[in-house]
Amino acid sequence: MPLTTVARGRVYEWSHAVGRGAASGTGFNYPQTMCLAKGGVAYVANRGNENNFGMRVNEVKIGGPGQEELLAEFFQWGEGDGRSTWPFGVATDGRNVYVSDEWNNSISVFDSSGKFLRKWGKSGSGDGELMRPAGLVCEKNGNLIVVDSGNNRLQVFTGEGKFLAKCGKGGSGDGEFDQPWGITVDQAGNIYVADWKNHRIQKLSPQGKFMMKIGQYGKVPVPADAYAVTPLGPYLSASGTPGYPKAGLLNHPTDVAVDTDGDIYVADWGNHRVCVFDAEGNPVANLIGDAQVMSKWGQMSIDANPDMMKARRRARSLEPEYRFCFPTAVDFDPETDRIIVADSQRNRLQIYRKVRDYVDFQANL
Amino acid sequence: MAYQEDIALMAHLMRRAGFGAGRDELEARVAKGYQATVEELLHPETQPAVDDYTLLRYQPAALLPGGQPPMGNVNIMYHLVNTKRPLEEKMALFWHHVFATGNSKVDNYDQLLSQIGLFRERGMGDYRALLLTIARNPTMIFWLDNNENHGTAVNENWGRELLELFSLGVGAYTEKDVREASRAFTGWTFETKIPRLPYGRFPWKFEYRPEDHDDGEKEFLGHRGRFNGEDIIDIVVEQPACARFVCRHLYNFFVADEPQVPAWSIEAPRDQKAIDTLTAAFRQSRFDIRSVLRVLFNSSFFKEARFKHLKSPAEVVVGSLRFVGGQELPRPGYGDLSMQPAYMGQDLLNPPSVEGWHTGPEWINSGSLMARINFVASLVGDPSLPGVRAIIDRLKSKGSLSPEQLVDGCLDLLGPVEVSAETRQELVAQAKEWGQTGWASETSAKTADKRVGEMLQLIVATREYQFA
Repeated sequence: MPLTTVARGRVYEWSHAVGRGAASGTGFNYPQTMCLAKGGVAYVANRGNENNFGMRVNEVKIGGPGQEELLAEFFQWGEGDGRSTWPFGVATDGRNVYVSDEWNNSISVFDSSGKFLRKWGKSGSGDGELMRPAGLVCEKNGNLIVVDSGNNRLQVFTGEGKFLAKCGKGGSGDGEFDQPWGITVDQAGNIYVADWKNHRIQKLSPQGKFMMKIGQYGKVPVPADAYAVTPLGPYLSASGTPGYPKAGLLNHPTDVAVDTDGDIYVADWGNHRVCVFDAEGNPVANLIGDAQVMSKWGQMSIDANPDMMKARRRARSLEPEYRFCFPTAVDFDPETDRIIVADSQRNRLQIYRKVRDYVDFQANL
Repeated sequence: MAYQEDIALMAHLMRRAGFGAGRDELEARVAKGYQATVEELLHPETQPAVDDYTLLRYQPAALLPGGQPPMGNVNIMYHLVNTKRPLEEKMALFWHHVFATGNSKVDNYDQLLSQIGLFRERGMGDYRALLLTIARNPTMIFWLDNNENHGTAVNENWGRELLELFSLGVGAYTEKDVREASRAFTGWTFETKIPRLPYGRFPWKFEYRPEDHDDGEKEFLGHRGRFNGEDIIDIVVEQPACARFVCRHLYNFFVADEPQVPAWSIEAPRDQKAIDTLTAAFRQSRFDIRSVLRVLFNSSFFKEARFKHLKSPAEVVVGSLRFVGGQELPRPGYGDLSMQPAYMGQDLLNPPSVEGWHTGPEWINSGSLMARINFVASLVGDPSLPGVRAIIDRLKSKGSLSPEQLVDGCLDLLGPVEVSAETRQELVAQAKEWGQTGWASETSAKTADKRVGEMLQLIVATREYQFA
């Protein structure tokens, strides 16, 4: 039951979990995307459900183990400015927070504490028009790149919503997209897009020219004795940690992050893992979720409900709880070398640390 | 006329083995042939499965919906509306009705959806294997208290329903058989699952506890031995009553309405010969449901049973949504849409009891009838919906329509729907008030579109339209 993942020239240590299932307040409700701000703060866009519960962006201080803190909530369900129907993408330029609503085809802008400032967006396929806007990312120059998912393209806007540029079209060729989802930029300004229905990541130049693609469609094999945590996985097996042998096979990847070494992290949503690739796109490792320690807010739920604790103590294995279940978002925090994963169906974040000075002298312990 | 008859027969097949079909699909299927269509329906694996990932992209809460509606309903409705394997879904509904398990007690739509998945996967296979699987299904075990059925303290709930409602029917067993069957299933339970707080739901897993099983000798339906649950199922499926019971259920669901299940021990089937035919297929094929369905759909008693089945609420809602089109992707409000069958008396994933729903005329009361008519009328009266537009375009291609032509055209393209002479006369009388319907100018076209929608609304409000 490792908490440390060792791969070629790299070590990842599981740090802690943040969050719990909650339709409001301290927790998450089906996070779709996430972005990081300075000081270990994350903005998480929650989809919620059909009872109009849970839709919101929450601003959370991640901290160390047991230090999670809710700072603000905004963009809850409702009509009018500052309200949402289907929140999806979230990005920050360090000053403002941008959120997409894929039902209303709009981008709303808030200040860093969640105060509504303005919004723009019009349904359509013309320049500057949006169809199911998904992931967002801010460039260093303050412009906003929008994954215009329904139009299978990226569009670039100023922070005020003025259309600047676009790239991409529907298809499976280089530079083409099929319902793309998450997006990130690296230190050089190159753009990485989770090309969801094409089961791959595409890397584009800052000008939107195709540079590289990573991954091909593949599901992790399901062992005959597998225990399905949901009808669509993850699958666990008594014969060992199952089904995660081959890196590079992706099943509906939803997000991508790049660290300061150029390593690429992919939220391999349908395979319930985060795949790590080197800068050239070679598979390095898989992270499968290791939440063996309860989050602070999760522990609060348990402490307040003794029946839950009793049941947990009777459960034969808690391993299904450790694993990712449809991770939607991944980010890298260069301040702390941490990889933060939005574990969507478990309504939490799992945090790993990329360890650069890991030494293990003794193999004969 | 022969072609029109082919269309009518194909429409009948698709209403029963699926959820109906528009005219384009019916024409394509007629070209393919009746038997070939039956074979396609019987082999769902030849068609693509529903894309669960698209559902979860828009409605992630539909995967593990917990105990509150409507996210579980969203999940099942998305499958029903989008499936290219209509008989697979129809069989899932069939077994959901027979092995009725409900959220009212289970409080867990995840588990109920998982059970529906099991019915999708095995619903047309070996009945014995299905019965064994359902006996090991934790949702069923919890629903019928078999987790409380211990070697030293027998709980008869599962054992009784296995015989009464799942396999034989009242009159084919004794109270002693119930007791002995229940003893044989002691120790069939599930592991404690990881509880719902704080990270959401986790599934149950079947567990057999030999130390909690009564391994003593049992006497069951004339057989004697130290039976375990699997032995009981082996004995049950060999009973003539089992074949009759399962086949009467299939007849009631696919052919024509029977009395309610509790009356089956005192009321003869409406077509004993048909039941005998299905029963023979069931036994000859060693309990293979696909073989029985093949006989059923190709039989004359099925082909002659048009409009002898009162549509269930699920058939009304799903059939209408598929017919009008444009409902494929989840959207805000899909939860309310998914609850429509419940408003008409069929709360999917939450049947009123282990007996399932009362079917046939019992679907109808003053409230449910209004709910049906209002729901369907709201859809067919909207000319912007693709399926309604397709009807308008076909009528438009015929030029200016007399009142009779408008009525007959709408009846034809909406089914064909067969109505009494009196009903047709009333529809024509209404159409006559409108005069000729034509699309010659922009203004008349707008009026004509509206008139078609209104005529469709009138038709779906008729008594005849409630039948399939």
